[in-house]
Amino acid sequence: MVDRKLVRALQRAVGRQNVLTEPADVLLYSYDSSTTVGKPEAVVFPGSTDEVAKVVKVCADRATPFVPRGAGTNLSGGSVPLRGGVVIALSRLNRVLEIDRENQRAVVQPSVVNLDLQKTLAEYGMQFCPDPASQKVSTLGGNVAENAGGPHCLKYGVTVNHVLGLTVVLPNGEVRQFGGKVLDTPGYDLVGAFIGSEGTLGVVTEMVLALRPLPEDAQIVLGIFETLEAAGETVSRIIAAGMMPAAMEIMDRQTIAAVEASFPSGLPLDVEAVLLIELDGLKESLDRQAEQCAQICRELKARSVQIGRTQAERDKLWAARKSAFGATARLSPAMLVNDATVPRTKLPEVLRHIQEIERRHGIRIAKIFHAGDGNLHSNILYDRNDPQDFARAEAATAEIFKVCVEAGGTLTGEHGVGAEKVKFMRLLYSPEDIEAQRKLKLVFDPKGIANPGKILPEPVTAEVAPQ
Amino acid sequence: MTSVADRLRDLETIVGPANLLTATEAVSQYRVDGQQPLGVVLPATAEQVAAVLALASQTGLSVLPRGAGRHMHLGAVPGPIGLVVSLARLSRIVDFDYENLTITAQAGTTLAAVQQAAAERGQMLSLDPPGGDEATIGGIAATNLAGPLRMRYGAPRDLVIGVRAALSDGTLIKAGGKTVKNVAGYELTKLLVGSFGTLAAITEVTVRLAPVPEATAMLAAALPLDRIRAIARELAASRLEIASLTACDALSLRRARLSPMLRASPESRWLLIGLVGDRSAVDRQERDARAAIGDGCLRLDADDATRAWRGLREVAYPSVESETIARVSLPVSETVALMEAIARWEGWWALGRIEQGIVHAGAPPGESVEKVMGKLRELRGLAESTGGILVLEAASPEAKRGFPVWGDSPNLDLMRKLKESYDPAGTLGCGRYLVGL
Repeated sequence: MVDRKLVRALQRAVGRQNVLTEPADVLLYSYDSSTTVGKPEAVVFPGSTDEVAKVVKVCADRATPFVPRGAGTNLSGGSVPLRGGVVIALSRLNRVLEIDRENQRAVVQPSVVNLDLQKTLAEYGMQFCPDPASQKVSTLGGNVAENAGGPHCLKYGVTVNHVLGLTVVLPNGEVRQFGGKVLDTPGYDLVGAFIGSEGTLGVVTEMVLALRPLPEDAQIVLGIFETLEAAGETVSRIIAAGMMPAAMEIMDRQTIAAVEASFPSGLPLDVEAVLLIELDGLKESLDRQAEQCAQICRELKARSVQIGRTQAERDKLWAARKSAFGATARLSPAMLVNDATVPRTKLPEVLRHIQEIERRHGIRIAKIFHAGDGNLHSNILYDRNDPQDFARAEAATAEIFKVCVEAGGTLTGEHGVGAEKVKFMRLLYSPEDIEAQRKLKLVFDPKGIANPGKILPEPVTAEVAPQ
Repeated sequence: MTSVADRLRDLETIVGPANLLTATEAVSQYRVDGQQPLGVVLPATAEQVAAVLALASQTGLSVLPRGAGRHMHLGAVPGPIGLVVSLARLSRIVDFDYENLTITAQAGTTLAAVQQAAAERGQMLSLDPPGGDEATIGGIAATNLAGPLRMRYGAPRDLVIGVRAALSDGTLIKAGGKTVKNVAGYELTKLLVGSFGTLAAITEVTVRLAPVPEATAMLAAALPLDRIRAIARELAASRLEIASLTACDALSLRRARLSPMLRASPESRWLLIGLVGDRSAVDRQERDARAAIGDGCLRLDADDATRAWRGLREVAYPSVESETIARVSLPVSETVALMEAIARWEGWWALGRIEQGIVHAGAPPGESVEKVMGKLRELRGLAESTGGILVLEAASPEAKRGFPVWGDSPNLDLMRKLKESYDPAGTLGCGRYLVGL
């Protein structure tokens, strides 16, 4: 039942034409790229920070939940309105407001698509370092909400390392500026606390980004290995040799098969691992480093090693990796994605466990990992229409999380907790840790209306507290 | 309310009599801005830290956490200090995971100890804050201080990926972990880094390490400020990945102990260019930097370069008590202009970290408090007119009382709520942070 008073208040805030309430319309905003669904009462399209503030104020006055939404590429249910309420679709806030070349800053609205900004910056020889795999579609606001990563984090860090300021609408409708263009504004790091908060502390409506000059050049080394262990050991030796590649990516046999079935690029099907190493920096360093990486690959008995020096060669070597996610998704009717992250050297041990989980449940798991930073994407293939298959996939997911946490890792490296990992948070955190996190949430959102049901599990009551 | 003596006795049972200092002479070593604590506690474990905090909160004793005491000059003049809780005995390296380029150490571990451990595997913690290597890892995290390596490697905010901490109610918590990527839950690590021990006492820190670079170098050239601005702009926009671009006046060179090695005339300044990388990269950086500068560019020999790195790191550290030093953060493009303004002030020194948009500036010794405060107000006005900020990093208690050390904070209400939420009894920090936090 649509709340007429709510709808009228929203229409006053953003204009009648920017509010959707028809079931068929709002249905499009009931899901994201995860398996979670919810049903919004209304979807609004504010055109300014001020309008976002008005919408949030309407929600606050009525204690109506709201969920900010960018491109909806979220992989953990973060942009799904679990408890109904209002979806604040930020698609109209899609402008680059300023590119300040000398100070290496950009000011952008949240719905600027990551890759669009990169293309604009490239014209000036600059970049915004975070480049998640979804960058063709995902928005910078979403990147900030998730503290997005991508393949280049070992060398360049994650989103929070490259954002200096935020304009946010708090859950009571107030507009605030956190941080700014200069370094070290005094006070608690509200920018850092807000990044990765998945829309549960408020709505980001503007961002100040730190930019960097693009690297002068890059080279790719691609090694093909008979075992995952050999590929992992290669990564270890590269780091031990004092090199800091921009990216190191591993694909397993399942993923290679998926890629070759959909986008043939000539990879052999009878090997266990492909390791892609991207080196960037000054031309002078790259030849030697690439040769050194290739040598390490050969020492670890790589079946073949290729070096890509030109842009065309590099693009060709990256192509398989970049198509891996889409290709894997084509293998089965659905795919349960997770991105648990472990200290990199634990990968071989964790992989053995995952292979065992695969066998025990009789399921297929395609594995791609950012080997440099230990971020493991184990994509579980299943059939959405087969409840038993889904149950198996879910059970396997839970077991993978347990294995990764026991190996000193974490539940999620870049996809967020969202709705789907809430139930696993207690694997990682003690009740005290969770309550310390809840203090932050309550300072920003005492009424609990900002993206409710996400990130934190409900408090444990005394009677059911686990011993 | 129990008496002070009773409360101190309870502390003794937590840490043992040898680790509770109450004698005036011993305690006076721990004064901050002239304020003497009632006692100093030296717990040995995180659990003891938590128990001390809980007791202090229950009995209304305020607490100042302390590492090696290298940065106690930062912040507003504290209110009455109940206890200084020294973390010096929590000095163990818990986990050096060199293969994953991380190290986890208890808060009181010195930077020197961390560097020594890392060096055995050809690694380093790429933080070079003022205050030397005797500073502790917990103190560096709590103050978020960085140095000349920052643009290349990041600040503590970027490199600290996990912490353990004691809340003032005696709860022990952890946040973050051992992986660079970690988005499981709220980033309490970010909240605690740079919070000056006002939300929790950090007991353990996990940081990212970096391989020790194959080569470093320091170039130097005496130039007029406008040339420095033009060259810095060119080099910063290039793809050379230059680590640091520093402009020094004659007085800051002396502070950094780089004169007479480098001699500054009144109309010129020195531009110091720090290079870090593998040998071939550093050679290339040098070649291109020389081309940008033209004649008169020196490459310091190894010993002088080491002195220069250290000098640029320590220049903003107060050498005597009550020295006045301010840090201004401003747009990179305004750095040199601010130095020009300060150059007109008799006796003031200034050093610009151009690549970061940070200027450190200091008053001449012996200047009257009124005069210093007048200039600080002017300097803050100049900073704010460019969108920048000024923090008074060191000054006499008298000057600090007359001048808002941290400046305005636009979100003070939120920060107060955070403070009340994490430290409801107001036990931690003794009001040194922002306005009374």
